[in-house]
Amino acid sequence: MKKTKLYMDTVVDIQVVTRKSREETEAKINRAFHAFQKVEQACSRFTSSSELMQACQKVGTPVEISPFLFEPLFFAIEIAKLTEGLFDPTVGKIMEEGGFNRHYVTGKIIESPSSASVSYQDIVLNPQTHTLTLRKPLVIDLGAVAKGFAIDLAAKELKEFDGFVVNAGGDLFAGGVDQNGDPWNIGIQHPQQKDTIIGSIKISDEAICTSGSYERRNPNRLGSHHLVNPKTKQSPNEWTSCSVIAPFAMMADAFSTVSFLLGVKKGRSLLKELNLKGFLITPELQISKVGGI
Amino acid sequence: MKKMDKKWVILCSTAIAAIYAADYVSTDTQAAIDQPMQHIANNVQKYHKSNNNKVINRTPKSLYKNGTYIGTGTNRRGSIDVAVTIKNDKVINVEISNFEMHYSESDIVELPNEVVQNQSAKVTNVSGATYSTKAFEDAVQDALYQAKNVAG
Repeated sequence: MKKTKLYMDTVVDIQVVTRKSREETEAKINRAFHAFQKVEQACSRFTSSSELMQACQKVGTPVEISPFLFEPLFFAIEIAKLTEGLFDPTVGKIMEEGGFNRHYVTGKIIESPSSASVSYQDIVLNPQTHTLTLRKPLVIDLGAVAKGFAIDLAAKELKEFDGFVVNAGGDLFAGGVDQNGDPWNIGIQHPQQKDTIIGSIKISDEAICTSGSYERRNPNRLGSHHLVNPKTKQSPNEWTSCSVIAPFAMMADAFSTVSFLLGVKKGRSLLKELNLKGFLITPELQISKVGGI
Repeated sequence: MKKMDKKWVILCSTAIAAIYAADYVSTDTQAAIDQPMQHIANNVQKYHKSNNNKVINRTPKSLYKNGTYIGTGTNRRGSIDVAVTIKNDKVINVEISNFEMHYSESDIVELPNEVVQNQSAKVTNVSGATYSTKAFEDAVQDALYQAKNVAG
């Protein structure tokens, strides 16, 4: 069974391999979709009614936030610490100014207040009280973790099926086996020829996420895209596509972004260090594999 | 450094566990939420009617009519239908009801022959193929247009 919905400006496709009844399967799939809805309501940067944007209105005072926001934010800040701010969830204002400021359903443009210079160190999270405190006005962007988190929650809802794939615009978790009882065979998008794949990998109970510069171009600046180094405000171009395979989609999502931002040498060595698998492509279409795939 | 990779696995599984530890019960679907709410609303109304004998009749003007509307979006690659469900002026669901795009879905299923031969296996899922949502946006706008409350 297969169903498709729209969340987070992304086409989310859930397919399930099962012998269970139609009703039971459909109910489970709906619950999996519900995870996307909850994460979107909590983490969206594009609507003032989201929990994230509401919480960010108060600067200097602790605001209690739900785990749908707290957990991905906590993860993003850990990644920011690891990369010393190369990956930084406070990149939101830079994205907004770069033209990534339009809600995909309503078309409404959002404009948020922010200090000129911000970093992840201006966000204080308290795991005991589940509160968020901002030291300065800033815009949080959870683009590189929230979708992965939603995929992981959806996957948890589906794990009793023989096989399933939660595919959110090309970032996906493949559980169990496909219709033939084999591990899922996942294609890797060709960065230049839209309708072809450049390679494929077999995975089971793993996630694969791809950060590519070939989609989501910056509407305001030529040669620029949605992956931005917060320090230089530039889009790096040592890779054109970084796919990372990990046990969780939130991990694969974050580390595909990080390896893209780190470039060829550092990106490869980080993936090796973390025992992750990677399928990385340079603009010259040289394929670089990490982790024995 | 080998131990470092465990940290991220633990962070991810803790994050998922936190959702389930908090009140996110898996039965908390839209339908399940709406039903009791509707029930409560009805009861409240009854209660007010019987006690106050005065029904407040100030329904705020709503932008959209509640319901599910089908919108269509097209581009060079085909057409797409979405079912947009609106409740109290909020879009609560967008489901893709018909997909006739010569886009990722159809193209990737019928990958060019040489690719299929090279890979020796059919690939139905692709990582890195972000759907362009322009046609979806058009379809959603079309549905919203139909839902517009002209009288309101």
